[in-house]
Amino acid sequence: MQESILMKVENVSKDYKMGEVSVNALQGASFDIYDGEFIVILGPSGSGKSTLLNILGGMDLPSEGKVIVGEEEINKYNDRKLTAYRRDKVGFVFQFYNLMANLTAKENVELATEMCKDALDINKVMEEVGLGERKDHFPSQMSGGEQQRVAIARAVAKNPLLLLCDEPTGALDYKTGLLILSLLHKINREFKKTVIIITHNMAIGDMADRVIKMRSGRIVEIKENENPIPPERIEW
Amino acid sequence: MKKLDRRLLRMVRHSKGQFVSITVIVAVALCIYVMLNVTIINVKNAVDHYYNTTNISDLVVELMRIPQGALEDLKSIKGINDVQGRVSFDVPLQVEDEDERVNIRIMSIPDNGGSIYKLYKAENSSTELNDDNDVILLKQFAEARNIKGSDIITPRINGRLHNMKVSGVASSSEFTYLMENEQSLLPALDKFGVAYVTEAFAQSVFGYRGSYNEVLITIDDQENIDDIIDLVEKKLDKYGVKKITKLEDQLSNNVLTQKIEGMEMMSSVLPVMFLLVAAIIISIMLSRIVNNDRMAIGVLKALGYSNIKVLSHYAKYALAIGLTGSITGIIGGLLLANPMSQLYVFYFNIPLAGIEIQYDYIINGIFLTSIFCIGSGLFGARGVIRIMPADSMRPEAPKAGRRILIERITFLWKHVTFSWKMVIRNIMRNKRRFAFLVIGLALAYAINTVPLFMTDAFVSMFELQYGEYQKMDYTIEFAKPQNEKVIVDLNHLIDAKKIEPRLDYPFELVNGWRKKTVSITGVPQETAFYVFKDRNDNDIKLPEKGIFITEAISKALKVEKGDTITVKSFLPGRDDITLQVADIFKQYLGANAYMNIEIMEKLLLESQMLTGVSVASEDDLKEKLKDVKNISAVRSAGDMKQAFVEYLDTMNIMIMFYMLFGGILGFALIYNATIIGISERTTEFASLRIMGFDKKDVYSMITKENFVMAGIAILVGIPLGTGMINGMVESFSSDMITFPVMLSPKIFIQAALASIFFVIIAQLATLKKVYNLNFIDALKSRIS
Repeated sequence: MQESILMKVENVSKDYKMGEVSVNALQGASFDIYDGEFIVILGPSGSGKSTLLNILGGMDLPSEGKVIVGEEEINKYNDRKLTAYRRDKVGFVFQFYNLMANLTAKENVELATEMCKDALDINKVMEEVGLGERKDHFPSQMSGGEQQRVAIARAVAKNPLLLLCDEPTGALDYKTGLLILSLLHKINREFKKTVIIITHNMAIGDMADRVIKMRSGRIVEIKENENPIPPERIEW
Repeated sequence: MKKLDRRLLRMVRHSKGQFVSITVIVAVALCIYVMLNVTIINVKNAVDHYYNTTNISDLVVELMRIPQGALEDLKSIKGINDVQGRVSFDVPLQVEDEDERVNIRIMSIPDNGGSIYKLYKAENSSTELNDDNDVILLKQFAEARNIKGSDIITPRINGRLHNMKVSGVASSSEFTYLMENEQSLLPALDKFGVAYVTEAFAQSVFGYRGSYNEVLITIDDQENIDDIIDLVEKKLDKYGVKKITKLEDQLSNNVLTQKIEGMEMMSSVLPVMFLLVAAIIISIMLSRIVNNDRMAIGVLKALGYSNIKVLSHYAKYALAIGLTGSITGIIGGLLLANPMSQLYVFYFNIPLAGIEIQYDYIINGIFLTSIFCIGSGLFGARGVIRIMPADSMRPEAPKAGRRILIERITFLWKHVTFSWKMVIRNIMRNKRRFAFLVIGLALAYAINTVPLFMTDAFVSMFELQYGEYQKMDYTIEFAKPQNEKVIVDLNHLIDAKKIEPRLDYPFELVNGWRKKTVSITGVPQETAFYVFKDRNDNDIKLPEKGIFITEAISKALKVEKGDTITVKSFLPGRDDITLQVADIFKQYLGANAYMNIEIMEKLLLESQMLTGVSVASEDDLKEKLKDVKNISAVRSAGDMKQAFVEYLDTMNIMIMFYMLFGGILGFALIYNATIIGISERTTEFASLRIMGFDKKDVYSMITKENFVMAGIAILVGIPLGTGMINGMVESFSSDMITFPVMLSPKIFIQAALASIFFVIIAQLATLKKVYNLNFIDALKSRIS
């Protein structure tokens, strides 16, 4: 594991207004993220893990606290800078894939790379995620696992610093879930990308370099895994 | 192609029904815009060209008699270019059907054809008068009566029939719109014509040897035309000037100008209304698409697309509508401009100078439409900015549900059925959209009221003028002024219930520097045929002394009831007199004034100068009086009615167009609103279906919403339509015609029926969408 710090999270809190209700989604989260790390953030639903992920990805701003990337405090970014941050530094993978229904697999990936300066070769990435043959299909013609591979390809092809995955296996069956985790593992190891997965599935924590456990908007434990096991051996 | 643009294309394909229906509105707007503007320019060019080649007269002076030699003297007035005299009289024409009364205006032309109001010869025809018994007939009349070269026509001049050979057929820029006089209201091409004869013939048969009764004048110095008129009037005073008409007041030119102005108004109002409705639909539709695309927008933003990029992605949808619509509309407009121009110039008997395509209209059209569409697109899609990428991943928080106002009136709300409660709540859920749709539908409704009003106005104008205000069965005009004895003579000839004498002479009414030449009609103070009403519809009686004027005259001269005006006589040697305006009376057709006949004779004229009589009789006067010397015209109420019915037929075409326009707008609004409503509420409808509502129930909910909306739109449309009608009346009213603003409920009911009809059609067009709704899928998918 490399020791250079990619990102610093300092005392980050977030309050939400959902309709007429105000929610305290995240309170005083602090930790560092190292370059090339594989982190799993664990917690039940409503523990604040998605909120944390959104803040790390520049999709949302904290109500309090700092998020530092390199020298920059991204919590001070305006909308334009946040957009640029998301464009150049972050790749997202969502639980429900969130593909554009009216674009083919390849076009969905191109949609992301069209704006990036040093995007990877799309065809190669599509091959890597195992979609070389299916790249001209529309999302509606693909299985959930395939759709999630497209989403991963879309995130990876941008060549981001950080890959953020929100319950990437949540909508998939066990076998397909494992394949997706292997793919993310491969991307972490071979492409040297920092990967953060958030999930409520405790078993996935076993493959991480570090596990951050959350409950009710707070970080309750940060645990380093001396010997992460390969995803193929995970069971749940 | 950029991936977002490709997505856009697929989006368009996916919603093609909506895309097409909005594009059609934009296309119709641009089609009308281009068609009318190109037509206006073509018609104006054709008119200019025609007026120039035939050398139209700037002034026409009618007078008692002027010797030929006196004309030269006029040329000495500075600013006058050319002068030409002629003899002109209206006489009856003998035709096969003895019951038919046809009048013809005999006009002399100089032997060399003259230089003013030169005839424009028809194809294969000559404009030569070889013989004193030759005539050249005006084309419209010749065609309407199917008279050809070398046919013989027989006008009755001073009681004597003359057989005259038609040597040619020609058009004249003086009669582009052929009407006998201001009171005719409508052209009747087969009932009134013009025949051009040699000077020698006209002067001999009318007893005008070496003299004329009309002078045509062209002017170089248009700016000082009024000063020139004064000088002409002074110079010709001794020859008994009756009337001086400027080109702008010349009957045919006046109608032509009005038609062009009417077209200009339509060309600016209609396209704007259409674009407005298109903008409403575009903005509603995009706000709905954006709402639906919440997740996709979140993903795009998460991928690093900026607000502007995402916003412009959706605005491009609107731009696509604008461009497709404007290009198809412009092509259509250009294609239609040609036949439309032809139709107009044909209608006005003007040779077409050539079709010119105006590129600046095309560029303006595309440019303005694009701005309009992009603007409404950005407005509709502005919700994009509010969507935070993180929020969009979560299911949307339920809309704040509040009790609506009527719910607080519990005893009322208690009696509302469940499905109606849903309908009412749903309407209230999106008030702004509801308001937009109502405004759009109200506009469509208002467009329908205008043509209905026009027909109604024409009918009532006619019925009032010739039924209520003027109750005689016949009006008879004399060829020469007669004395009172003529009434006794007439009583011997015909079986009349009543005969009233009538005077009709032009005078100049003056108030300060304002002046106006109008015809003053003298009728008995206790007239049985004329009914006068003031502006508040109260009956008013003709005063002993004093004058009644129309509203148009009162406006032109800036005089009110009780003011005094100067009346200048054109008769030689008569002094000006002052009269009090006794009242301002309602009259829809023609601009004239009325006086007590006795006072009029005494103050303004020589005695015994009756120009005609009004008659109540069940006799067929046309037949009985057809050989009577000195009668130039017998008009019956029936003739008027016939001409009117024919005119209404052409009105019907216009009404159909307007109805169609209103219909297209109403259809597109309801169709889009329904489609949008359905796609927005798929999950809601799916839930209802699962709970046991059947397709019909769901469909009837949408139907109820649309009809509530249409109902409110009609209520809003009533004042809107009234406003549009008032604008129409304002812009179409002239000295000659005042529209009665009588808004009968019939207009609004008919317009409402038309609107409801289109709502039903649009409603049916969306039926399939509800019936094909797959509620299982709708419930499963989070991504729509």
